Amino acid sequence: MKTAAFTKTYGERTVLRLPELTLKQGEITAVIGANGSGKTTFARVLAGVEPADGKQKVISGVTVGYMPQKSYAFRMSTEKNIALNGGDRERARRLISALQIETLKRQRAKKLSGGETAKMALARLLMRSYELLILDEPTASMDMESVLSTEVLLERYCRETGCAMLIITHNIQQARRVASETLFLCQGELAERGSTAQVLSAPEDERTCRFLKFHGV
Amino acid sequence: MRTAFQKSVALIFSADRELLNILGTTARVSLTSSVFALLIGVPIGIWLGVCRFRGRGVLVVVNRTLMGMPPVVCGLLFYLLFSGVGPFRHLELLFTVRLMIIAQVVLITPIVIGNMETYVSDIATPLRETAKGLGFGGGKTFLLLVNECVYQIFSVYLLAFARAIAEVGAVSMVGGAIAWKTNVMTTAIMQQTNRGNFTLGIALGLILMTLSLFVNIVISLIQGRLSR
Repeated sequence: MKTAAFTKTYGERTVLRLPELTLKQGEITAVIGANGSGKTTFARVLAGVEPADGKQKVISGVTVGYMPQKSYAFRMSTEKNIALNGGDRERARRLISALQIETLKRQRAKKLSGGETAKMALARLLMRSYELLILDEPTASMDMESVLSTEVLLERYCRETGCAMLIITHNIQQARRVASETLFLCQGELAERGSTAQVLSAPEDERTCRFLKFHGV
Repeated sequence: MRTAFQKSVALIFSADRELLNILGTTARVSLTSSVFALLIGVPIGIWLGVCRFRGRGVLVVVNRTLMGMPPVVCGLLFYLLFSGVGPFRHLELLFTVRLMIIAQVVLITPIVIGNMETYVSDIATPLRETAKGLGFGGGKTFLLLVNECVYQIFSVYLLAFARAIAEVGAVSMVGGAIAWKTNVMTTAIMQQTNRGNFTLGIALGLILMTLSLFVNIVISLIQGRLSR
């Protein structure tokens, strides 16, 4: 799956300038980088939430699922929020079980904590299959046990549906655990890309080295 | 004072014809104007909250200015438009309930728009992004947005009704506070007090305060439910 080269400018400032990218289906690609490096803007443009410069289509002809950094909990129960995206009850049951939110099913979604809301939002999103799935820091507010079980779920979903999955993360270890490929963004540019093992263990770009050093890698 | 208070309570329970007439006119003016303000204001408020376009900021500022418009200014404006020298004198609406309703709609609609715009602005972006990420179309997203606004709409309606029922400046100027015709609770309280007839004034004041208390209790309950 190919995404077109594009730029994104706010006012006078170009915040993102990316080349054409190839995303592998059935595999997870991690996007890492410091704050303000353009990771979220990249996800938003790719998801079609925000237009690229000149309203250019960055990706076309594929079904895209997107989980923003702060997902919205609709004014209804957790169960109904999940069912909004498809009525397959068995699938909903499996997702609820995998994300360990059985006890929250009948609770008002607005009353959930940050981590619980993220789990609900993920279950809601995974109710359908997509060709490209973009997750913006899906586990940022979860505890470690939940992070690990969510990663297992995401890997299984990716394998079963054959989708190309893009995970924006600050968690380097998460990228190491789940992603076959990693993109490193720095100041709106693609500084490095390659297999996760290569990018995280033997980076070629000096900016990647500095970033990883700060993260104790 | 105590006697006047006792007499006013007795008046309320005696179903006095003048009192009932004032209550009827008040209900007609307040209910009709608040419903119309809601019908006009809610769609505009949602539209302003959701859409981002050139000139939106100007519209929001204009609306906020109108929210603070003194009722007497509104009354004066309508008086001039519909009086014997105004451009709409041929409609012969001055000192009628219909013009009182129109003036109140103009006064209350900006409040409805402002409240809806503020609420919708807060939720529109995350809601829209989430809906877009889930692949929902415009229709489904709009219905979800309206569903999010249900309690807010109800709360805004009560706010509009409370404003309408307590308003005196505009209705007294365009209605003229004519007994048995355009006299509402607030104008009647002023009139009776000026005449030294405190009994009817206190009775109307008690009813007005009770209504205000009731409306505020309901608003608090709704807001409590919203925050849960």
